[in-house]
Amino acid sequence: MRHKVCKILVLVVALLISAVVASVEQTSLSTGQPQEYQLKAAFLFNFIRFVDWPNEKSTDTNEPIFIGVIGNDSFGDAFEPAKSKPVKGRRIVVERFKSFAELEKSGDKKRQQEEIETIRRCHLLFICSSEKDKAKDIIESLKNSPVLTVGEAPGLLESGGIIRLLTEDKKVGFEINLYAAEQVKLRISSQLLRLAKRVIKESLVSMNGPKNENDTGTL
Amino acid sequence: MPLMRNIGIRLKLVLITMTTSVTALLLTGAAFIVWEQIASRQNLVQEMSTQAQVIADSSKAALAFEDVKDIQNTLNILRSHPTVVFACIYDRNGRILASYYRGGAVKSVQIPKLQVDEKNYYFGDGFLTVFQPIVLDNEVTGTVCLMSDLTQVYAMLKGSADIIAIVLLIASLVAYIMSARLQRIISVPVLSLTEVTKIVSEKRDYSVRAIKETDDEIGLLIEAFNEMLEQTQRRESELVSAKRQLEMGVKERTADLTVTNKKLQQEIIERKRIEARQEELLEEIKSINQELDSFAYVVSHDLKAPLRGIATLAEWIANDYADKLDDNGKEQLKLLGNRVDRMKALIDGILQYSRIGRVKEDKVKIDLNMLIRSVVELIAPPKNITVTIDGLLPTIECEQTRITQVFQNLLSNAIKYMDKTNGLIKVTCDEEKGFWRFGVSDNGPGIEERHFEKIFQLFQTLQPKEGTESTGIGLTLVKKIVETYGGKVWVESEVGKGSTFFFTLPKEENKVVENEKLEANIAG
Repeated sequence: MRHKVCKILVLVVALLISAVVASVEQTSLSTGQPQEYQLKAAFLFNFIRFVDWPNEKSTDTNEPIFIGVIGNDSFGDAFEPAKSKPVKGRRIVVERFKSFAELEKSGDKKRQQEEIETIRRCHLLFICSSEKDKAKDIIESLKNSPVLTVGEAPGLLESGGIIRLLTEDKKVGFEINLYAAEQVKLRISSQLLRLAKRVIKESLVSMNGPKNENDTGTL
Repeated sequence: MPLMRNIGIRLKLVLITMTTSVTALLLTGAAFIVWEQIASRQNLVQEMSTQAQVIADSSKAALAFEDVKDIQNTLNILRSHPTVVFACIYDRNGRILASYYRGGAVKSVQIPKLQVDEKNYYFGDGFLTVFQPIVLDNEVTGTVCLMSDLTQVYAMLKGSADIIAIVLLIASLVAYIMSARLQRIISVPVLSLTEVTKIVSEKRDYSVRAIKETDDEIGLLIEAFNEMLEQTQRRESELVSAKRQLEMGVKERTADLTVTNKKLQQEIIERKRIEARQEELLEEIKSINQELDSFAYVVSHDLKAPLRGIATLAEWIANDYADKLDDNGKEQLKLLGNRVDRMKALIDGILQYSRIGRVKEDKVKIDLNMLIRSVVELIAPPKNITVTIDGLLPTIECEQTRITQVFQNLLSNAIKYMDKTNGLIKVTCDEEKGFWRFGVSDNGPGIEERHFEKIFQLFQTLQPKEGTESTGIGLTLVKKIVETYGGKVWVESEVGKGSTFFFTLPKEENKVVENEKLEANIAG
């Protein structure tokens, strides 16, 4: 008799435990705060969705969309979902590039040039915070190639970057340098512009002044 | 009263027209309202779908970046849309990210459950709910929901219905007025025709005519009716005239008949009167005749006795006083005797005459040949006179005395008046139309024609030859006997050459006798 009671008790406890675990798992999966870089990766995919590239970039749907990541990134496997889920009907291929500084250090000019050419083919280039100082160089080296440059470092837009991700109150936002985008013939959806915390429409270089903080474009 | 009568076809035509037009109008109105309802709903659905589409499109990015504020702002655009009472955007898990209520509608609206269906709109509870999925990169990232108030649609429909009702009313009124006027096209000729038929049937007046105004079927009908009337009128007049003629004929005939009848009656009366008179006369004559006969008989019978007495006395005087009387006396007595004989003969003749009507004798078969021979023997004619029978005389059935008297008188007359030295007397007999015609002809002096009637009258005598005396009864006797038998007697004569006395007797009853006689002759 006691044996049976014990067995039932064990069963009940086990069921309870499994239910709790299941609920915890569920919450973490569905409602829990995603990892920061997973969110940022999703942001990158969404940027691609709301940006149109000029025709010189292949529009063939069989061709993948290249995302370049330069520097020491923290994305990890955040890009994994994109492999099974096409963006604009195209596969996403993520290429990681070595730090620009390291490239310069190696002194291999030819290798560096090849690397830059490869980057130019990318649709989107994420410049990691590690490349904060070289950002301007990287962007300039891309010349007028229609590459959507995205970064996190402050002053990226001033360096010619197009979109900068920023985190405020644990919420990720972004700001856009529309002028820079227009320079490389990228068309950014007005909806995206509307969502930006700040939109820069004038050349920052020619103004030769500090950041125009007032020219923000939140809707 | 005529109006009440006329109401039939007029009202019918108006009713038909009205029923048709009102039904058509109602159907049109109903169809219009139904169509309007469908159209307005579809319009609303279209409008709301477009609106939802716009919102879905413009909230794609915000949804992708989970910018609830921006989504809210997007929804707030709907303020400009008066019929939208509620709007919301669900995320891909069906959670409401943002919602919009029209002022004051917060409580009255039940937030709809997200429905993902092929049909993306629903009508219910006076609302239209539209769901529009937000698609980004072939992936549903969320859904827009719009709820629209239908009261406006219903109000519009009601307005339309009101207008249609007014239009229907006006149209019906116009249709009524028009049909009331236009029905005359059909009803007026028909009614006039009806009037005419009424006149015809009530007054028997076939001279009226319906007026033909159109060339359609009614016109034809009127024409045919008129033709019928004409025919009827003609027949009627013919009938009337025939009737009149007949009546006149009947009247004439009746009048004629009446006149004829009257005449006939008068004639009948006249005839009866005449007959009565005749009978009277006949009776009178009969009684007179009878009286005369009996008178004659009585007279002659009674006269005979004294006459016989006179004759006896004269004989006695002649015998007893023969020696006392001279020759003159004897001669005068002889004359007296002659006168008495003559008187006796006269009386006998009258007696015979009166007997003819009075005394009937049995009829017997008589061979006239034998009779003539015995009569001639009895008369004993002088030697200078020859009596012959021409051919064979028939045997007839009659009273012997009578027929003997007839021949005796005729023959004795012929002998008595014969003035020729060679006297020839001939008896003939022939048949004539059912009669025996007997003739006794002589070659004597003949009789003047003016005496032909006179000789058959009583006591009429012609101048006899010397020494003969006549009573004037003989031929009267013959006439009476012959006429008693139904025959006739007459004379044909030429003065100086002679005369023939004819008499007829009916043959009928003697036929058989004659045959028998012939048989007898053959046997003999």
